[in-house]
Amino acid sequence: MAELTISFTLNGERREVRTAAHQTLLALLRDELGAIEVKDGCGEGVCGTCTVLLDGEPVSACLLLAARAAGREVTTVRGLAPVGTLHPLQEAFVAHGAAQCGFCTPGMILTAYAFLRNHRRPARDDIRRAISGNLCRCTGYAKIVDAIEAAAAEAAPASPAAGRG
Amino acid sequence: MAKRPAAVLPAAALRVVGRPIPRHDARDKVQAATLYAADWQMPGMLHGAVLRSVYPSALIRRLDTSRAAALPGVAAVLTARDVPNNTLWTDVPGQTSAVGALRARIQVLADHVVRFQGEPIALVAAETPEAAQQALEAIEVEYEPQPGVFDPEAALHPGAAQVHEEGNLLARWHVERGDAAAALATADVVVEGTYRCQFIDHAYLEPEAGVAWIDADGVVTIRVATQVIEHFRDVADVLGVAHNRVRVIGTYVGGGFGGKEDVTVEVFLGLLASRTRRPVRMVWSRQESLLARPKRHPFLLRYKTGASRDGTLTAQSVELLADSGAYAFLSALVLMYATVTAAGPYRMPNASIDARVVYTNNPPTSAMRGFGAMQMVLGYESQMDRLARRLEMDPVAIRARNALRKGDRLPVGQELETHVAVAEAAARAWAALGPRRAPSAPHRRIGRGLACNIQSYGRIVWLHDWASAWVGFEMDGTVVVRTGVPDVGGGQASSLCQIAAEVLGVEPDGVAVHIGDSALTPLAGTTTATRQLYMSGNAVLQAAAGLRAQLLPVAAQMLETPADRVTLRDGGAADAAGRRAAWPAILRECARLGVPRSFLGVYHAPAGDPIDLDRGGGRIFPDYTFGAHAVEVEVDTETGAVTVVRHVACHDVGRAINPQSVEGQIQGGAVMGLGYGLMEEVLLDRGVNLSTNFAGYLIPTALDVPDVEALLIESGEGKGPYGARGIGEPPIGPPAAAIANAVEDAVGVRITELPITPERVARALGLLSAG
Amino acid sequence: MPAAPFDYHAPATLADALALLGRLGDDAKVLAGGQSLVPLLTLRLVRPAAVVDIHGLDELRGVRRDGATLEIGALVRHRALEQGEGALASCPLLPEAAALIGNVRVRTMGTIGGSLAHADPAAELPAVVRVLDGVLIARGPEGERAIPASEFFTGLLSTSLRPGELLAAVRLPLPAGRAGYAVEEFTRRAGDFAVVAALAAVELDGAGRTARVRVAIAGAGPVPVRLAAIERALTGIEPAEPAVRAVVRDLRLEVEPDDDVHASADYRRHLTRVLTVRAVVRAAARAPEGAGAWPS
Repeated sequence: MAELTISFTLNGERREVRTAAHQTLLALLRDELGAIEVKDGCGEGVCGTCTVLLDGEPVSACLLLAARAAGREVTTVRGLAPVGTLHPLQEAFVAHGAAQCGFCTPGMILTAYAFLRNHRRPARDDIRRAISGNLCRCTGYAKIVDAIEAAAAEAAPASPAAGRG
Repeated sequence: MAKRPAAVLPAAALRVVGRPIPRHDARDKVQAATLYAADWQMPGMLHGAVLRSVYPSALIRRLDTSRAAALPGVAAVLTARDVPNNTLWTDVPGQTSAVGALRARIQVLADHVVRFQGEPIALVAAETPEAAQQALEAIEVEYEPQPGVFDPEAALHPGAAQVHEEGNLLARWHVERGDAAAALATADVVVEGTYRCQFIDHAYLEPEAGVAWIDADGVVTIRVATQVIEHFRDVADVLGVAHNRVRVIGTYVGGGFGGKEDVTVEVFLGLLASRTRRPVRMVWSRQESLLARPKRHPFLLRYKTGASRDGTLTAQSVELLADSGAYAFLSALVLMYATVTAAGPYRMPNASIDARVVYTNNPPTSAMRGFGAMQMVLGYESQMDRLARRLEMDPVAIRARNALRKGDRLPVGQELETHVAVAEAAARAWAALGPRRAPSAPHRRIGRGLACNIQSYGRIVWLHDWASAWVGFEMDGTVVVRTGVPDVGGGQASSLCQIAAEVLGVEPDGVAVHIGDSALTPLAGTTTATRQLYMSGNAVLQAAAGLRAQLLPVAAQMLETPADRVTLRDGGAADAAGRRAAWPAILRECARLGVPRSFLGVYHAPAGDPIDLDRGGGRIFPDYTFGAHAVEVEVDTETGAVTVVRHVACHDVGRAINPQSVEGQIQGGAVMGLGYGLMEEVLLDRGVNLSTNFAGYLIPTALDVPDVEALLIESGEGKGPYGARGIGEPPIGPPAAAIANAVEDAVGVRITELPITPERVARALGLLSAG
Repeated sequence: MPAAPFDYHAPATLADALALLGRLGDDAKVLAGGQSLVPLLTLRLVRPAAVVDIHGLDELRGVRRDGATLEIGALVRHRALEQGEGALASCPLLPEAAALIGNVRVRTMGTIGGSLAHADPAAELPAVVRVLDGVLIARGPEGERAIPASEFFTGLLSTSLRPGELLAAVRLPLPAGRAGYAVEEFTRRAGDFAVVAALAAVELDGAGRTARVRVAIAGAGPVPVRLAAIERALTGIEPAEPAVRAVVRDLRLEVEPDDDVHASADYRRHLTRVLTVRAVVRAAARAPEGAGAWPS
């Protein structure tokens, strides 16, 4: 089929949409579901700005056909905390100056979030390795590592909020 | 002439300025609430796309858009004949002085000739991105490939293919002081070196994007990621409409670095929106951006440096040859910046700098962070290092001996009016490396390198740069700042918040900043040339100080105390005894008395007349930022791989308005410099771009670079607010040269060509032979 | 860019998938993890009429250890190989190699079958299969075919899979005895494809001398290459670095790299020697302690 109807969960909300088979999840999210927090930086899966969590694991939305999201849980940076509040990772990014132009930031935070769920007290080198698939051109990475290290030291990250209105 | 704004207070007295507070835009960015240019949607929006030349040099024999225009969903297909005025001028954006070679032109859409691979030929607008893509593929172009020239040295030979009618030499600058040839002939020691640096791409994470629409008043409105909102004039000129009928809204930019300084999508969007009378969005793919956007100028640098036996420099003779690619854009300016700084941050009694930039059929080159001055660091700091080795002098000592000082003159004749921290930065950076570490494996070697640099901030003085800002109180005591500053991620807007808050005695989160709208915010000029803090910072300072001066007498009267005994703090004004009046009350009183609650500040940078560079003309830039980086590298003697294990970056920032922001700029610039030094390169094969995807164009990941330690010197003598200097560009200069020097220290080979790839090092070590 | 439109199929069983591929012929592309195919689609470099998404074929997800053979289903993800749980722990070369693949997102989605079928010469997993003398199991209209790794990779991005065939699994023989494994990869940046990678499998005899040495090279030619002459010359020696270095230095290399934008042929040959020495020495050093060894 050239078009299909899929249903999946986006930041805790169930969505049912019609998608062209050749559409990527990135295009579906940005162009039809208004999820512009997922960015389009390269279309090759290299830069990391299109990172979303698929059932909790980081993937490149530009390399996923939308059809593949069927039945899955998709989480973007807006799914990490209720509207108007900040997840501790986000607070740490603000406090440590880890966002300059901000374009890499949503993907970077999601990647860090997934990493910290499995790593309690990572060393700086482990953090660097964890974010090595997310490019940043502004910060030189140091303050991003500072923020992730600080967030890890604070507490274990909470799970993403479900069913936000 | 313009007065320096008052309110330069000693550091201890500052309340907000100098604090490392989080930026006001950071909260939005971590929640992805910031709407970048590609995030904007309008009802009925069309999608625009560009057809680009596949050949680097060709005639267009036939261009047929009829099939494309007939496709379902295609709203417009435009070619050169559809462009009312098919010329885009680069006239030093926002300014008005004509300076000869600095005026540059390019056609908006190619008509019968294309001069670089990727040159725009046609535009489409369609209902969907798919339809736009199909329309592009349906446009029929018949090319007749032509000979081209792809090497700057070849471009200067008689008989070389001519890229433009006026010949391949675009611009030439010459600076002369004393008699360099004679001084070299009699010098105790002369070091000669030839260096090459490469094309690179800005590689900002946000590709070029914008949306345009015609508003209710018929004004062509363009919401675009740009460093220059003044391009509304260029759009108007191309469209043949009045300047006041075009509006540019600058978004928060996902990285600029000079790549969003020239026009990107604005003119194309203006044309498509005007033709279709519907909103149009254009977003470039990464591959398109890598292919076709202007790059950094590659340079060939030839240096002869003379010194006496005790290490005192006596002469610097420099020949520079840069590649402008197919069009001029800002090449002549870039060359000027290079020429002025090519001798380095050193006292140089005799200097001869001869610089040329030529056309080729390579991709055009234009502005990129460092703007010609940064490429020179490889030349002058490699020379210093070689000299130090020849004379068996310590790298810090030789620089201390020769470093410029306040009151010295550059070869171009400009006297340095403010503190020059070269020697201090070199010493501090070098000392901060700490104990030399041991290699991590038997086949690895450790080496250290130092590099100093000089980078201007602020625009060339004869361009009469100015910036304006409006600062006002709302009736409830909150503050609004309006200024046309584009924010490209360097905290441009946030610093202005801090300055206004400092002067008016309010908290930074009580200040709302509205930026970047050519119709609604007073213009502040470009976010380029490391000028924004200097210019709009001073404009905001002036506006806030003017507003304060208006309001203080009213508050004083209410408190029945002399105006000079009133302090602004804690949500209002207070007298020496602590009696207070809150802002709402003060502002109501202002309304009653007819005292305005706002002030428009216009900062005019101290200007000068155009100079003859080669007659030691004198003042060219307002001021300079000086710094030094020290790196420790580990070189794998079997593979040639170079890893930077320690990096210290020390710059005199004058005053750090926001130390966290300043550190972030230094760390980010240093890492961009590391990428330039170690891995980045746009590879071209006779004008065909081989580096058109992110998998192949290598920028550093978090694993490729160490934590950069930023050391700030605050000499307090900068020309910006509170004595600040610009810091956006300076940190990108030293790293590549520092690494080259460190590699020589580690393994005894001098790499003179960038990037310093493992293969280059392996070859220099003699590791490569057949089989 | 948007991909050119295609028909999408997501068969539920292997039989359905094979029938579909048989019917669609050359007009169809197989989609596994998508990390290689989807960029080709969205750059509009390939425009198939149909895409057959095989991610629903659970029968291709299994991991089984059958005595001395480890069988890994084609849809097992790089992430699972990296984590090395269950039966995958019996092959320590897999986590070391898988950890080098791309970035965390590529490893979440990418599959071993996808990597092997795509056959990028600079990829790690084809070289793993080559060095371990793996056997690729193809399923097609004519049934099952077992293809030795030495015959599977036929050229640049080419395999001996026939039209209508799917790669279903890979079988890796697990030798008994004291064995060690190592990957030495040279990249320009973390997570990039290898410029050159050397993978070594070294088995020692009771006296600590090499009983069998296998070395495969990725990135130095259109297909992964076994260095047969070097393997023979390294057999029966004490694998200390100077001895290994001497052997590798003096023998003609069996790789034929090209010059390209990332590296010259000379440099790739040089790296082949350097990385081979490092991989062999490290693999040998792991053998006695059992780190990098097969559990017996």
